[in-house]
Amino acid sequence: MIITAISVIFILAGLIFFIGGAVGLIRFPDFYTRTHAAGKGDTLSSLLVILGFAIYQLHDFESLSHDWLTLLVILKMLGISVFILITSPTSTHALMDAGWEDGTEPKIHRDRPNHLNDDCEKF
Amino acid sequence: MLSKVFATIAVAITGSILLYGVSDFPAFGDPHSPANAGVPGSESVSLYFIEESYKDTKVPNIVTSVLADYRGYDTMFETVVIFAAGMAIFAILRVVGNKEETAAKAAEEDSFTNGDHNRIIVGTTVRIVVPVIQLFALYVVAHGHHSPGGGFQGGVILGASFIIIALAENLNAALRRLSELNYVRLAAIGIFIYAAFGIMAQVLGSNFLDYGALQPIFMTDGPEMARSHSMLGVEIGVAFTVTAIMFAIYANLASRGQLVKGL
Amino acid sequence: MIFAFDIIILVFLVVAALISLNVKDLLSASMIYGIYGFLICLLWAEMGAVDVAFTEASVGAGVSTVLLVATVFNTRRRSSD
Repeated sequence: MIITAISVIFILAGLIFFIGGAVGLIRFPDFYTRTHAAGKGDTLSSLLVILGFAIYQLHDFESLSHDWLTLLVILKMLGISVFILITSPTSTHALMDAGWEDGTEPKIHRDRPNHLNDDCEKF
Repeated sequence: MLSKVFATIAVAITGSILLYGVSDFPAFGDPHSPANAGVPGSESVSLYFIEESYKDTKVPNIVTSVLADYRGYDTMFETVVIFAAGMAIFAILRVVGNKEETAAKAAEEDSFTNGDHNRIIVGTTVRIVVPVIQLFALYVVAHGHHSPGGGFQGGVILGASFIIIALAENLNAALRRLSELNYVRLAAIGIFIYAAFGIMAQVLGSNFLDYGALQPIFMTDGPEMARSHSMLGVEIGVAFTVTAIMFAIYANLASRGQLVKGL
Repeated sequence: MIFAFDIIILVFLVVAALISLNVKDLLSASMIYGIYGFLICLLWAEMGAVDVAFTEASVGAGVSTVLLVATVFNTRRRSSD
């Protein structure tokens, strides 16, 4: 019972971060902030949802010798979450880096300095 | 503009005829439909596969047993089609050019990558992830007759791991791991493995690709386990060809057939 | 098979197909074609054809998108029609 409650809390938290990422993707003004919202929101929410599923698998776990297949499923889910934790921020970084090299203009306040051009000289 | 209107009308008419045809289909998963139960007088073949394939081959995954054993001839020539596609792309795109110019370009590319600070993060992640991907691909190939997967899927994943190396560093880094000579060899060896299983069955006095005759080679209890082991061997052959051809297509497309300085 | 889930995926599938046919930028078209491949993989997995879904996920959504992007990179990026 308490394990089910914990897993529901995890999944709901993941869904809330998914909504945050989606709203950020629509509402933010330029490429960099949008990628930031999508990358951060998706990574954290996928991790939370998968961890919630993994915790839910424990709800009728009795003994290690009897239920080792359930344990195998949980280990596979943890492997997937580690894989997402490594790859998703990297793909976001690669996307932003490609935008920076391509010279996409960020939207910044007109009094603040824009460092885009002095870094783009190299390419 | 006018051609688009006509195309839209043609698509709409064809689609409505197809949708009208779909309305006569049996429901999804209907056990009494002709495909599942057969028509009176002739029994359906899918019932036979569901009931007998485990007894015939000792392979729990019916899809693999149908694909690699009952329809083995079909799958063999599917592999040949993939090989032919790779060779066609090789014949169209590959430029066997000026050696000195190629070497100069490769040196320039290497110096560019060494000074590129932006690729450190992507390169490190690829270094961590690629062994995991390759291990998973080998698992998919080797476990294909017990769970979803098999030669095609595992081969594509294994080829994709080389493509990831080429994307993250450069094409030379991937070609150092799987050179052009080696991938052409690998593609041919895959089909050779598949055909060898068929010809070995012929040598032992049975039909082409009748794996049950390979029982004395595998030294198993009955022809069923020999069929199971042969399916694994055949899938390894398919995986060789698919791996090599996927990477060959990418390498030729990305570098305009020069095999230097990819994307 | 869950009927409502099927309908949702099929609607997204038709939308993705129409967008990837109509968009002028060929890079966007390839990316949306990858989305199409992933959606049809989801549909097949949900209908129980896991082997086909696996093939589609690795070939249709993975490698063929990379091959299309490589082709677009080496040719023109704008569609001519």
